[in-house]
Amino acid sequence: KMSKTETPNFFYANETDCREVQIPNEIFFTIAMVSLGENLLVVVAVIRNKNLHSPMYCFICSLALFNTISSLSKTWENIMLVFTNTGHLNSRGDSVLKVDDVMDSLLCMSFIGSIFSFLAIAVDRYVTIFHALRYHNIMTMKRAKAILSAIWAFCGCTGVVMVVFFHNVAIMMCFIILFVFALVLILFLYVHMFLLARHHARKIASLPGSTKHHNLRGALTLTILFGVFIACWSPFFLHLLIIMVCPQNPYCECYRSLFQIHVILLMSHAVIDPAIYAFRSAELRSTFRKMFLYTWAQCVCV
Amino acid sequence: MKTKQCSAEVFASFGQAAEINCSSKPEFQRSRQLICSSFLVQKSPGIEMPKFQNSSKPGSGPHYVWEYEYYDDDEPVSFDNLTAHRYSVVIGFWVGLALFVIFMFFVLTLLTKTGPPHQENQDAFDRHCRPSSCMVDFRHPQASDNKACSQPLLDESHSLIHCFIHEEETGRTGEGQGQWREAKQCACSGLQQAQAKCKVERDTSFPTHCNIPNFVNSEYSSALGDDDLLLCDQPVPLDSNSLSSNNYHRTM
Repeated sequence: KMSKTETPNFFYANETDCREVQIPNEIFFTIAMVSLGENLLVVVAVIRNKNLHSPMYCFICSLALFNTISSLSKTWENIMLVFTNTGHLNSRGDSVLKVDDVMDSLLCMSFIGSIFSFLAIAVDRYVTIFHALRYHNIMTMKRAKAILSAIWAFCGCTGVVMVVFFHNVAIMMCFIILFVFALVLILFLYVHMFLLARHHARKIASLPGSTKHHNLRGALTLTILFGVFIACWSPFFLHLLIIMVCPQNPYCECYRSLFQIHVILLMSHAVIDPAIYAFRSAELRSTFRKMFLYTWAQCVCV
Repeated sequence: MKTKQCSAEVFASFGQAAEINCSSKPEFQRSRQLICSSFLVQKSPGIEMPKFQNSSKPGSGPHYVWEYEYYDDDEPVSFDNLTAHRYSVVIGFWVGLALFVIFMFFVLTLLTKTGPPHQENQDAFDRHCRPSSCMVDFRHPQASDNKACSQPLLDESHSLIHCFIHEEETGRTGEGQGQWREAKQCACSGLQQAQAKCKVERDTSFPTHCNIPNFVNSEYSSALGDDDLLLCDQPVPLDSNSLSSNNYHRTM
C-alpha cells in the first residue's frame, strides 16, 4: 500500500506492440515556425497592398490567418510541453489543462476554418470562371466580408463546442462528415473548372494555324492541389474515425500509434498552402519583393 | 497490449476516501484530447474503477501518491493472433491514397488529350460567322497591321458591339467565353489574310490581358510561361456594360 513509483506507459511491452511513434519537439518547432512566418507574410502583404483588397485575396488572407492561428497554438503547446518535460510545469495542474483546452479549441477552430477557406476559394474561382461577366456583381467586397464573418463565427463556436463535447460521438461524426463533404465539393468544383478550361483549350486548338500542344500543366496543378489536401488531411481524420470505430483492434492500434506523424502532416499542409494558393499570384509576389527590399534597405541604411 | 492509457493521480489526504476516475485528473500531453478520450474508456469492457481507502492514521503520516494505469483485464487487444502485418491498415491506407491520386491524374490527362470539339459549339461557331465581318483585334486598334481590317470594321463596329451585348444577355454559350467569342469571330472572318492576322494578333495579345477575371489560361499562355490554373491576378473591374463599352473604345 505504499506509494507506487511511476509505471511505464506501456506495461505489457511486447515485441509485437505498436509503440507510439514520437517525433522530437524540434521538428514540431521548426515546422510551426516556418508555417507561422510564411502565413504571417501573406497576411501582412494582403493588408498592406491596396490592390489586393479584393474578395479573392480576402479568402486567401483568411486561409493564411487560420494557418497562422494553428501554427501559433502548436508552438505554444510545444513550449508548454518542453517546460513540462523539464519539470517546470505540472502536467496535471488545473491551469495547465485549461490552457490545453484553449489550445485544442483554437486548433479545432483553425482546422475547420482552413477547410471552409478552401471551399470559399474554390467557390470564388468557380464564380470567376462560370459567371465571369457578372463576377463583380455576384462577389462584392461586402458579400465577401459577410461570408468571412460567418465563417469565423461558425468556426469559433464549433472549436469551443468540439473541445467541450469531445466525448460525444455525434460531434466527431459531424466533423468527419464535414470534412468528406468539403472534399467532395472541392473536387467537383475544380474538376468542373478544369473541364471548361480543357473545352476552351480544345477550341483554340481547333482554330486554323494553332499549334497542337498537350497541356499537362492544368492536370498537374489540379492533382497537386487536391493530392496535397488529401494526403495532409485524411490521415488525421481517419485517426478520428478509427478512435470511434475500432478502438480495440490491433491493426487500428498500430494506425493510431502514428498519431504524431499525422499531426506533422497537418502542420506541413499549413506550410505548403501559401505556395499553392498565395505565391502563385504575380501581384502578391511583387508585394513580397517590395516588402523585402524595403526592409533590406532599412536594415542597410540603419 | 493495453488500451490507451489514462493515468490518474490521486493525492490521498488524511482520512479521506478517494475514488479514481480516469477523466478526473488527466495529464497534459500533446493533443491529449485526441489520444485519451473518456469515450474510449467507457467503451472498453472489463475495466474496473478501483477504489481504495486511505488507511493512514489521521493527523500523521505522509501524503500518498498513487498512480494507476488503466488496463483491460481481459486483454481484448492481443497482438498474438495477427494474420496480416500489424501495419497493414497504415500501408493499405497510403497505397489506396496514392492510387487514387494517380488515377485522378491519369483521368485528367486523358481528358486533356482526347475527344473532338462538341457539336453544339460547332453550331454556335457557324452562327456567328458572317462573311463580311472582320472583327480583327479589339485590343490594338492603333497597330498598323490592323489597317487592312480596321476600315470595314469601323462601319460594322456598332452592329458588332450590339451583337456582343446581345450575346451577353442571352448568355447561351456561357458567360466565361467573351474572349473565346472574339476568337470565333476572328476565325469566321471572310478575309483569309485578316483571318491569319486575327489569329496572330489574338495569340500574342491574349496572355497580356485579363479583362475578364479568368485564371484558367489556355495552352498559349501556358506555353508562354504564365502561371496556369492557379493564376489569380486582380481582375479588372468590369461588368457587362463596361465590357462592351471597353470593346467599343478599343475599336475607335
